Amino acid sequence: MCTTDRIRKNAGFLLLLPLLAACGREPEKSVPPGPELPPHFPAPVYLATQNPYTEAGIALGKALFHEPMLSRDGSVSCGTCHDQVHAFADHNVPLSMGVGGAIGKRNAPPVQNMIWNTSFMWDGSIRHLEVMPIAPITEPLEMAANWDTLLYRLRASEKYRRMFQAAFGSEQIDDQKMLKSLAQYMGTLVSAGSRYDAYVQGKGSLAPDEMQGLDIFRSQCASCHTEPLFTNQAFINNGLDVVSNDIGRMLITRKEEDRGSFRVPSLRNVALTYPYMHDGRFRTLEQVLDHYNSDKSDKPLADARVRNIRLNSEEKRALIAFLKTLTDYDFVSNPKHAQR
Amino acid sequence: MKNLKSILGLALAATILTLAACKKDPKPDPQPQTGEVKIEFEHAWGPDFKPFRFDTALVHPSTKDTLTFQHLRYYITNIRLQRTDGSWWAQDESYYLVDASTETGSLLKLSGVPAGEYKALSYMLGVDSARNVSGAQSGFLSPTYGMYWPWTGYINIRAEGISPTSPTKAFTYHLGGYSGADNTVRTLNFSFPDQNLRCTPDGKPQVHMKVNTARFWHGGIKTANIHTIHAPGPNAVTLANNFAGAFVLDHVHN
Repeated sequence: MCTTDRIRKNAGFLLLLPLLAACGREPEKSVPPGPELPPHFPAPVYLATQNPYTEAGIALGKALFHEPMLSRDGSVSCGTCHDQVHAFADHNVPLSMGVGGAIGKRNAPPVQNMIWNTSFMWDGSIRHLEVMPIAPITEPLEMAANWDTLLYRLRASEKYRRMFQAAFGSEQIDDQKMLKSLAQYMGTLVSAGSRYDAYVQGKGSLAPDEMQGLDIFRSQCASCHTEPLFTNQAFINNGLDVVSNDIGRMLITRKEEDRGSFRVPSLRNVALTYPYMHDGRFRTLEQVLDHYNSDKSDKPLADARVRNIRLNSEEKRALIAFLKTLTDYDFVSNPKHAQR
Repeated sequence: MKNLKSILGLALAATILTLAACKKDPKPDPQPQTGEVKIEFEHAWGPDFKPFRFDTALVHPSTKDTLTFQHLRYYITNIRLQRTDGSWWAQDESYYLVDASTETGSLLKLSGVPAGEYKALSYMLGVDSARNVSGAQSGFLSPTYGMYWPWTGYINIRAEGISPTSPTKAFTYHLGGYSGADNTVRTLNFSFPDQNLRCTPDGKPQVHMKVNTARFWHGGIKTANIHTIHAPGPNAVTLANNFAGAFVLDHVHN
């Protein structure tokens, strides 16, 4: 390549220089706050265009996420049932306990990779990350909060007045800012650092049984638990019951064919988030595979994709070995996400 | 090298243009004249617009059900005024929650309305679909007003009260739903009947709407049959359609 060519090639950049210098704007910081987007993930759904990530906004969201004042009697926070050590799912209980010992209706899912979600909750009832926390905060069986009381408490707290000031440039505390900062914090909860991720990025390898498990996974499970998010985000009746007690997605669509359909959960960190299914009925991955290894002919609403996958015990062991490679130890121990 | 020169020339031009763009306009346009317009919602009972009061047993003129209102709030949004030349002025961030329990809650104040003459009014009864899916909101759209379901959007109209013939002894109508067949948002248009609305910087023009609160039960709906609506669906759509028919533009005064 001759010199002129190289100059010409780089000259395009010269055009940008005056624009970058325009109006004396500060140059961008090298690492912008907010989630680091894994190169092997698709573009996120939540773009935070109306809610740009800031260090102070994320810190406020993290404090609020772990703030028991948000519940009616000050006994539980979001983090009570969404704990980092379990990939922000509950402490291995089928159903979660809210204020006054109330028991919730469905298993608490992990709070991870939320910015890729096209919907939230087992029935997909919620469509936007920023409004998602309203449901657990106000739900009588969960945090049972009253907005006036909750905001009164936050406004009375010097710590929160200071944090809201830092995050939004004003001491004025309101629900919109609260929800936006929670979205910022949850937006940073990205799990993409498992051994599986290292393998698909060419930075690590899997053991032979894990590789065998990945092959089985790709042929038997991936049509719903699609890589790299390990969910296709669809609503599927996976044939748990002849007639489901929980109508699931039908609550939203009112269509009979959606009775007992639930959002396909991601399998990331699946080894840490037992028990499984919308009601936490299965304690182990072996029990889950036994379910998928059984006939669904008596389950008329079961999706056609949920058939008997007929694995032998060696194949089951291999598949489970693979599922365990989806555990992201950095995610569950990263002090950046931690309560304190 | 010729190419390089022309590129450098372009870069120089871009710099000059950009710098010029940073300069403030020395003579800003004079502020256009604006004024305030009020819209009053007078709640009444039945097609004859009899007096309407909360905590008072009212007999429905056609179904004969007895109904005692304890709560009536609804969203009025996306307010527009039509100029005499046919063009429209649309209010920015136009979201109001009418609370029929008080006079102040039933009076909307629109500031910053461009001075001029207007011949018609348009607004939405309910919150447009875009704001139902745009994340955390503020003002009257804050969920703290109890008019929002995180799972299915805004409760556009909320009416509650007592009815002895209802199996629950109550009526609880939370009318929401913003898309498809479940959509309960309605756009209402009114021409000003006798005179145009005249907005001036120091005038006090007012639109006077009458709202027939008996319209919920239009078409023979009895609380024995429809007493509780807590989710979008056909009943919510029927009652929202009914209530959209409750609004009558009574008069305008300038």
